[in-house]
Amino acid sequence: MNSILAKVKPNELVGYGLILPYLIYSLIIWVYPLIWGVSIAFKRWNIISTEKTFVGLSNFVQVIHDPLFWIAFKNTLYFMVVYIPISIFLSLSVALLLNRINFLRSFFASGYLISYVSAGVAYSIVFNLMFSGNGIINTWLGGIGITIPWFSSPKIAMASIALIVVWKFLGYYSLIFLAGLQSIPKSIYESAEIDGAGKIIQFFRITIPLLNPSFTIIFIFAIMLSFNVFTEPYMITGGGPLDSTQTFVMQIYYHTFTNLHAGYGSSFAIIVAAISFAFVFFIRKIVEKDIA
Amino acid sequence: MGRYTLNRLNFRSYGKLLTYSLLSLGLVPMVFPYIWMVLASFKVPAEIFDRFIPTSLTLEHYRMIFLMGSTGSANPFIRALANSLLVSSVTTLSVVIFGAITGYALARLRFRGRSLLNNFILFQMLFPVVLFLIPRFLLVTKLGWINTYQGMIAPFMMSAWAIFLFRQFFRTIPQELIDAARIDGCSELRIIFQVMLPLSKSVTIIVAVFTFMSMWDEFLWYLIVTKDYNLMPLSVLLGLFTKGEYSSYPGIQTAGATLLTIPILIIFFSFRKFFTEGIALSGIKG
Repeated sequence: MNSILAKVKPNELVGYGLILPYLIYSLIIWVYPLIWGVSIAFKRWNIISTEKTFVGLSNFVQVIHDPLFWIAFKNTLYFMVVYIPISIFLSLSVALLLNRINFLRSFFASGYLISYVSAGVAYSIVFNLMFSGNGIINTWLGGIGITIPWFSSPKIAMASIALIVVWKFLGYYSLIFLAGLQSIPKSIYESAEIDGAGKIIQFFRITIPLLNPSFTIIFIFAIMLSFNVFTEPYMITGGGPLDSTQTFVMQIYYHTFTNLHAGYGSSFAIIVAAISFAFVFFIRKIVEKDIA
Repeated sequence: MGRYTLNRLNFRSYGKLLTYSLLSLGLVPMVFPYIWMVLASFKVPAEIFDRFIPTSLTLEHYRMIFLMGSTGSANPFIRALANSLLVSSVTTLSVVIFGAITGYALARLRFRGRSLLNNFILFQMLFPVVLFLIPRFLLVTKLGWINTYQGMIAPFMMSAWAIFLFRQFFRTIPQELIDAARIDGCSELRIIFQVMLPLSKSVTIIVAVFTFMSMWDEFLWYLIVTKDYNLMPLSVLLGLFTKGEYSSYPGIQTAGATLLTIPILIIFFSFRKFFTEGIALSGIKG
């Protein structure tokens, strides 16, 4: 101990003193839970009892054989397939429009961002009522002879949830795209114009490639979000109908806090984290390019 | 030539007109749910679902939220609103204070292990929350913090994201200002809070509003650690009542949703410039 202290120069002490609170906090609330979480994943443990038995990989094996794990996986993929393309298409469109104007730009930018601040519980309540069987949307659609069972059909309930999450993050992604668009030098377009490149060629040859950092970050956000969906299905569908909106986090919540099986919940969470890492890694390999 | 310019001008202004029309049109679905929510909270139950413009208004739903006792006890909604404000404000304050202190040390002080800590902070941001949910719950249980404010706040008090933003910004502040303050005998803490923070207003506000918003929106963690209606933040209380007692009272649900939405909208409108700047600047907070 003394020898360590002796090595610390006095002018370093200030730095160590200032980072100490964060260091201690991280150890307690980050490092320790991370290790603990991994260790209980190898145990059979009902939260309310004190008995913990080491069961090796058995929890992990059980998760892999759990039909609801695969249902949640399938639902998450379905969510992504709806959520990511629609989000990207709409937010890029909004960003391109915003990029064309100066007058009232910040008005429109914050207008589109207004959905971003709505609390999960609040907008779940609102959309649940608006999109219900006899809600305002179906009443209006009824005028042209259609009713859509948004949250009550197992086929489209997950897509409906994806759509309301699109609503929430549309402005957010638009502003990331807008920042990307504004970082593209005007001179590139000017020289393309001189070379006779039309607007469409400019869009696909200049705009899209140079927006690569924005695409990458939005893909990463969207994937991480897809693996974390909880509040909307919890509030609106409770995972139904017929488990069509069960998500990973709902399952982890159920196994740990309803079923009280912390070991199982933990191994479930570790597998989900690993899959989401793999997805992020994979999408970076595909999308991310060095544009400098 | 004259005609050509005129046509081109017309074409341009039509283009502009089209841009503004599309942007305005797109804004309708963004704002519509808010308008529908507020209207619904004043409608008589029969008109909530299929009428957009109400024929008569009622304060009944708000009366239920604010005044009526639920299951005999005092109504917990006002209390829940206060809980949300308390928990979100305390967390925001803590995130700003420790973010600034740690960010300053990482940006401006030399000590061995600094780059290691820097990498550790970036590394922390990669880990999904689900990994920590269960062990943190067990930790909070062990500490006896279930059903306490400490328990609700514990996982959010310091943020790697905030430290990262402060560090990035503090690096751009001229060294002479820090040296001058040191010559005047300022302690490092005074330098942080009386020199660095006032020079970093926008970053500070960005960290504060995004933290406040995410705490206001937080649901899962509060759901896990609070059992007592009197201690629940508004998001959880409203969520549980919507799924429980009030499940067939859409008017009360929308009144509750309006109550949950108004404070955060006030913050959004007061600081909207910082919301848009924060996203453009960092693109980091998810």
